[in-house]
Amino acid sequence: MSRRPPRGEYIETDTGNKVARKATLVGTQNIMLGGKTVIQPEVMIRGDLVRSIQSSSSSSSSGTPNNTAVAIGRYCFLSRASCLRPPGRFYKGAFTYMPLRMGDHVFVGPSSVIQAASIGSHVHIGARVVVGEFAIIKDYVRVLDETVIPPNMVIPSFSIVAGQPARVIGEVPEGGHEAFELRDLYKTVGNNPQPPAS
Amino acid sequence: MSSKRHSILPAVSAGPKPPVHFSSSITIAESALLTGTNLITISSESVIHPRAKLDSLAGRITIGRRCVVHERTMIGAIGTSGKVTEQAVTLGDYATVEVAASIEAGNTIIGEGTTVGVGSKVGAGAVIGKHCTLTPHTEVPAGEVIPDFTVIYSNGMRRIDKRGVADLKNKGQARQIDVLRRMIPTNPAKFA
Amino acid sequence: MAPLNPYTYIQCPCSDSASLGRPSDATSPTSADGDEEDNAFDPRAPRANFSLYPLEYLLYCEDCHQIRCPRCITEEIATYFCPSCLFEVPSSNLKSEGNRCTRSCFQCPICIGPLSVTSIEAPPSDPSLLVPDRAGTPHTTYSLICSYCSWSSTEIGIQFDKPNSIHAQLAKIRNGGASRLTAKERKERRKELSHRGGEAALAASSEAAAGQDMDLETQFANLKLFYNSQLADPNAGDNGFSSLGDLGFSSPSSLSRIMNLYTGGKLHDPRAKSKLGAMREAITADEGLLETDLDESSLITQLHQSDFLDTASSTQICSQPPNLGETYIYGAARFNSSLRPVPYLLRTKRSKRCPVCRHIISKPEAKVQTTRFRIRLVAGSYIPSITIRRLNLPGPNGPAAPAILGDLLEPLKPVHFVLTFKNPIFESLKVTLGAPAKTPGRFPSKVTVLCPQFDIDANTDVWDEALKENDRESSGRSRRRAGTESQFQVEVGKIWERGRNWVSIIVEVVPASLKLEPGRDVLKQDEDVLEIPMFVRIEWEAEGGGDDAASGTGRDKDQKEKKELAYWCVLGLGRIKQG
Repeated sequence: MSRRPPRGEYIETDTGNKVARKATLVGTQNIMLGGKTVIQPEVMIRGDLVRSIQSSSSSSSSGTPNNTAVAIGRYCFLSRASCLRPPGRFYKGAFTYMPLRMGDHVFVGPSSVIQAASIGSHVHIGARVVVGEFAIIKDYVRVLDETVIPPNMVIPSFSIVAGQPARVIGEVPEGGHEAFELRDLYKTVGNNPQPPAS
Repeated sequence: MSSKRHSILPAVSAGPKPPVHFSSSITIAESALLTGTNLITISSESVIHPRAKLDSLAGRITIGRRCVVHERTMIGAIGTSGKVTEQAVTLGDYATVEVAASIEAGNTIIGEGTTVGVGSKVGAGAVIGKHCTLTPHTEVPAGEVIPDFTVIYSNGMRRIDKRGVADLKNKGQARQIDVLRRMIPTNPAKFA
Repeated sequence: MAPLNPYTYIQCPCSDSASLGRPSDATSPTSADGDEEDNAFDPRAPRANFSLYPLEYLLYCEDCHQIRCPRCITEEIATYFCPSCLFEVPSSNLKSEGNRCTRSCFQCPICIGPLSVTSIEAPPSDPSLLVPDRAGTPHTTYSLICSYCSWSSTEIGIQFDKPNSIHAQLAKIRNGGASRLTAKERKERRKELSHRGGEAALAASSEAAAGQDMDLETQFANLKLFYNSQLADPNAGDNGFSSLGDLGFSSPSSLSRIMNLYTGGKLHDPRAKSKLGAMREAITADEGLLETDLDESSLITQLHQSDFLDTASSTQICSQPPNLGETYIYGAARFNSSLRPVPYLLRTKRSKRCPVCRHIISKPEAKVQTTRFRIRLVAGSYIPSITIRRLNLPGPNGPAAPAILGDLLEPLKPVHFVLTFKNPIFESLKVTLGAPAKTPGRFPSKVTVLCPQFDIDANTDVWDEALKENDRESSGRSRRRAGTESQFQVEVGKIWERGRNWVSIIVEVVPASLKLEPGRDVLKQDEDVLEIPMFVRIEWEAEGGGDDAASGTGRDKDQKEKKELAYWCVLGLGRIKQG
């Protein structure tokens, strides 16, 4: 567009998403962004890996096939070189990918690879973390750096996890809930970022 | 349209275009990166995901049948030694290289049915046996020889996989490739 | 050395026995200014570790007007749930079933990753066959498989007939596949035998018990039954030890006391007390006697033959559930083959009470899946948060390089830190700071708080903030915008920067030199960390009737009431460069 004079590092959408030009989004039509989400450079999202078999129950009830591969809520922050890809498994003998769902205020650290089935809201994932296929991370979870969450693991709310394989090493204290808020972080990136609030 | 497109791929660092030998049944994403000067062979029904990087500068790269090479992998990375060997990396049949794993060049061999986990590193000259599993973030030092059916987990712990599901896994791999072939638009002509 | 990010820890008053529970009022000695220098808090004192917490970990009792920490609060369990299947476990089940998930949630005994139930398919007859035909298989069995380290329960010879209620199925199978009796079945079998009566049946049963490996559960059950019968039998004992009276180990009363301890019954059984005399010990396997097998040669040969990787590590053994049907090998499994899948330990949701006034200060909603709290009085919404930033002023030789967090501090060179206090309450705060001029410890660093007294404006409504966003940008941050930091002068008694509900001040520190006498002394762990103790006193005016709003005596309560809170905190600023 000619109205935008200099080409910023980010593309800012109407819903407030800030997507880096240097991010690799494959299959964009299957990626849902809730708004106000930041996607930093070198992030990769595999929207092309869509569900190949519709589960018989849902396809019969809803006429249109749901092709969402990756659904991201509001105020998520995908750091540099992180990668989101839908998990794949065998369902009734056939291989299929399943959608990856992410809630609001999810921080994904640099170089982390996420193949979870679902990630709740207010989740902080550190740097170089691997979230295995079909892992389920509930709300208010902190995943420390370099953690490897094995496939199919369920992490309940208010857990702090670390290790290879991941184990729950602590509980998020009552006073630590606000630290998951990413509204302020959202403002600090983009084409005209604001300085971090003191 | 053009302003809406997010998947603008940054310009690929134009390295030398390597000679390739592709089977007609392979699936290779257009955004895969193939560089180097030596021959890259990809055998039948193997899948190369977008953004996988194969570098044959340090020797030939051979990928067996029904292999899956995921995105952001680096196959044929020139290791610390920087040695050039005739054969850089060999992937046996049914091998899987997961996201962001890297395999250094220098007569490195990944055995049949072996899975190299997310973010793992295989050093130059390492020989990984058949049906091994390297869990995410495993590092195999250069020159290491890993026997068949080894599982490397938890930062280098080792055990032997006694499930006896090798055939089943291969069968699963074939089914997975069937699905991937429909999803990933292939463009082998680009590399020819 | 790992870089150190600045931190603020706050001391909970519970470690100070004098002030526990007492609301700090103006007359209390702890807040009297004169005393502070004398008993300055030493963050390096061995006990200090137990009372220092990051702000997030602290709660606040509104009735006592005091900080409460995880160590002093009392907890009450609201809900038990399995962390894997997230099903709630009623507390009544807990006593009978134990504190582990009794559904199908297990952890890998090798790597503690989660196990999933997988059907064992017959090996494919034709590998090229891509179409699955599972319908034809007559009998599918299931195994637990670890998706991380590829462990399978078939390695210890355990397979399941159905994919659900694995816990119940596992309780009946020994490693290797042999079946074992559950506690209930054992009881029933015993009942059956006693019904049949007669010496022959009893002998047969003891033979049978000895024949099969007795595990800890069986042994305990047998012993318990035996001692119970001994206690019940009035004719037992009387064999000459009565002179020892109740003190003997084998006297019924002490036994019943011990058993009550373990089984959680009433502490004193009046019936047992009246009885005197000893009773006999168990002499058969049926009564719970297990002869110790001192011959370990087979074990040793097995160790000789096996690989190091086949033996279980201590962490693996520790994570094993106690006596879950393992054969009795002195409580410890030596080989991976004797490890069993670990059922998930249950987790809890807990509400927390103030230790003094017993008011609830944190209460989660009981439902497992909700993350809301009914009550959540966290210290962060009552006392100001303190963030630390290093300030680099231009030195005499040109402008300073931008400060990097975690940079080492040069000894004997003054450094400045910006402390930002953020007010969370809706009243303006008056803050008074006190810090000893020299940090305690072997290497005293000089500390000067340039502005020890200031006011912070009230935390206005969130919506106000949103509306005033632009306004704030222009007014609140004007000072920093007007001139860059390099043009700023550090002035004594002046606030560095001020915003809507926050104030930044400067602390000047001259780090000590860590010179040690060569060869005589060594630097202790973390002795190079520059930590300064700081006493914070905050005063504010609260809405009247804060103490007894319930009484509701009328308008006069609406008067503003002066409130005060004082506490020590520790500011970790960084590491001092050595040598």
